[in-house]
Amino acid sequence: MYEIKTSMTTEEKLEILADAAKYDVACTSSGVDRKGKKGELGNCRAAGVCHTFASDGRCISLLKILMTNHCIYDCKYCINRCSNDVPRAAFTPEEICDLTVEFYKRNYIEGLFLSSGIVKSPGHTMELMCRVLEKLRTEYHFNGYIHIKAIPGVPDELIAKAGYLADRVSINMEFAGDDSLKKFAPNKNFKTIINPMEKISNTIALHRLAIGKDARMERSTGNRYLENSIFNIKRIEEAGEGYKQLPASISSGNLKRAFAPAGQSTQMIIGAGTETDYELLQTTQRLYQDYDLKRVFYSAYVPLNDDPALPAIGTPVPLLREHRLYQADWLLRYYGFRAGELLSEEKPDFNEQLDPKCDWALRHLDIFPVEIMTASFELLLRVPGIGPTGAKRIVSSRRYGSLNYEHLKKMGIVLKRAHYFITCNGKMMYKTPVEENYITRELTVVNRKENWEIVHRNQYEQMSLFDDYKLG
Amino acid sequence: MYIYTCSPDYESMLTCIYEAWASGKGHANIKLCVEPVDQYGLFDEYIYVEGNTEKAEKVSRAVWTRISQYLYWEISHALLSFEEDALDTVYRIMILGFHFGPQVTEMIQYKEVVRFREIRKLVSREVCSFQEFMRFYKVQDDVYVAHFEPRSRVIMPVAKYFMDRMPSENWMIIDDTHKEAIIHPKDEDCYMRILTDEELQALSSTESEDYYTRLWRNYFHTMGIRQRENKACQNNHFPLWMRKHATEFKEECE
Repeated sequence: MYEIKTSMTTEEKLEILADAAKYDVACTSSGVDRKGKKGELGNCRAAGVCHTFASDGRCISLLKILMTNHCIYDCKYCINRCSNDVPRAAFTPEEICDLTVEFYKRNYIEGLFLSSGIVKSPGHTMELMCRVLEKLRTEYHFNGYIHIKAIPGVPDELIAKAGYLADRVSINMEFAGDDSLKKFAPNKNFKTIINPMEKISNTIALHRLAIGKDARMERSTGNRYLENSIFNIKRIEEAGEGYKQLPASISSGNLKRAFAPAGQSTQMIIGAGTETDYELLQTTQRLYQDYDLKRVFYSAYVPLNDDPALPAIGTPVPLLREHRLYQADWLLRYYGFRAGELLSEEKPDFNEQLDPKCDWALRHLDIFPVEIMTASFELLLRVPGIGPTGAKRIVSSRRYGSLNYEHLKKMGIVLKRAHYFITCNGKMMYKTPVEENYITRELTVVNRKENWEIVHRNQYEQMSLFDDYKLG
Repeated sequence: MYIYTCSPDYESMLTCIYEAWASGKGHANIKLCVEPVDQYGLFDEYIYVEGNTEKAEKVSRAVWTRISQYLYWEISHALLSFEEDALDTVYRIMILGFHFGPQVTEMIQYKEVVRFREIRKLVSREVCSFQEFMRFYKVQDDVYVAHFEPRSRVIMPVAKYFMDRMPSENWMIIDDTHKEAIIHPKDEDCYMRILTDEELQALSSTESEDYYTRLWRNYFHTMGIRQRENKACQNNHFPLWMRKHATEFKEECE
């Protein structure tokens, strides 16, 4: 815990603090469009820019670091918990600013992702983090993307300040339920997570209304044609008494910025707690609807600490489960599905063999096959193998002539999945019965390779005669 | 078959389209391609077309006013492509465009339209990728230089992005494949320069290591989570041919 070596170089610090931050999933630089300005450095693009891809295939678009990995908390799942004996370091504000600006000029990164362990108290840490951001924005004239992790349990003024300086603010939920949080993160409290989340959400909404935008964040355009979409609820702002919002800007100088224009996000750990997929997905949907979160991230738990309450070190990372949850998350945000349609209390976990959309389609064979030339956009999106882009292409091109399977293939429709569920000019692609058992069997074969790759991606090992055949 | 050829600049390509169209030989008997031609056909007649500003303007004006500005934008980007059949496909799209009007890009029932969209997509992907994967090196006090080797002539749209990103820096982007450079002086507009071999040679050794390149490389290697390693996914997102000048892969390439 004590730093014996006091004169660490920036290089050593970067290695320690980047290593400590890498388990945080969110690294997106998306959600806000901002043009560059003369005299400043940087711009932002709503679609996000990935600058490189690490050996695990995840994109690196922001300089993701902790300000410090000293921490007074003892969360069981965290590598930086105070009871762990790991090398500790802390950046100075100048070091963070220099790194960000120099990396940015060389086009290595799109901005900064700043998180931190808790030093002394949450408030003190948050204040230090705000100081870094303020320096970066005012002294270094940095106009790029900044994502800041807000720390639960800090005064509202500090969260407000972070929001005015950063583009995205996020507070990690970690677990979908209060019980798991109490068990694994005894120093954290569910209320201190949800409360600021609500306040941030309301403040963003008010800021958006003030500049003539809709109170809700922008979503994929397809959603406006989907009646069932989770985002089709009007948000009515009544800024009266009892309306929780953050105080007005207290940032110094003449820095005028919108409040967290890229919205807020959160992250949940998969596989450490006892939540079912259904609970996680319901929570996700509620977060999108009630707090208008831009993204909910899932992080498959990588066992790092030896703790009896957690999966043992060496337990395979639940990558397939994480993959299924992301698939479902996409179905909520782009396809007009609701959590209740995909899972239920009776069937609380995802099918390992089939993706959630195929699984849903097989339970609703009564509406299939659908006719490509006449089906609505909403119905097309429900067909496995047809995504938002494919559905849009079908709808726009069928106006000018009839389509056949060759055209669909050229449009990027995945026919190996879709052909069981569609007809083109009244004909199916092959003679296939629309029968649950048959299609399930066929689709399982289609998905098998993909699933196997996700699960066994990095479990190659040297074959050993003695271990594998128990000859020793 | 009559084959119209031209040099690979924008003006010559539009002039080539003009000449081919005006020849009256019948669209089905004409093919367009860009010099150098890899393999000449035995029974084809080759007609070389010189660039002509007036004729090129006529073509662009016709597309702009009689079809749509959107299609003009799409065509001008598709012509940047390195694909051999890009010019011919644009010619076919214009035939369909004058017949059907602005909605032509949606009519994927025509194979020319499908091909056109493919070419267009390849170009925009390349633009996007190089905006992401361009790596600048600091050469003097505050001059940043980047080399890249694109397949298509995408230096203009790529540089436009950096003009917005770093308006108050001195920087320069060099396209090693097409021997072109864009130079951006601090707080000013940028300009393009076609490089001679000597100039290219002189500019070739700008990729020198410094403190931050080393930091970046360390950072990059630290960020991968060993338990989740997935090289296939990494290669999908960051193709090997684009890594030539990427700082973080330098040692692996060499």
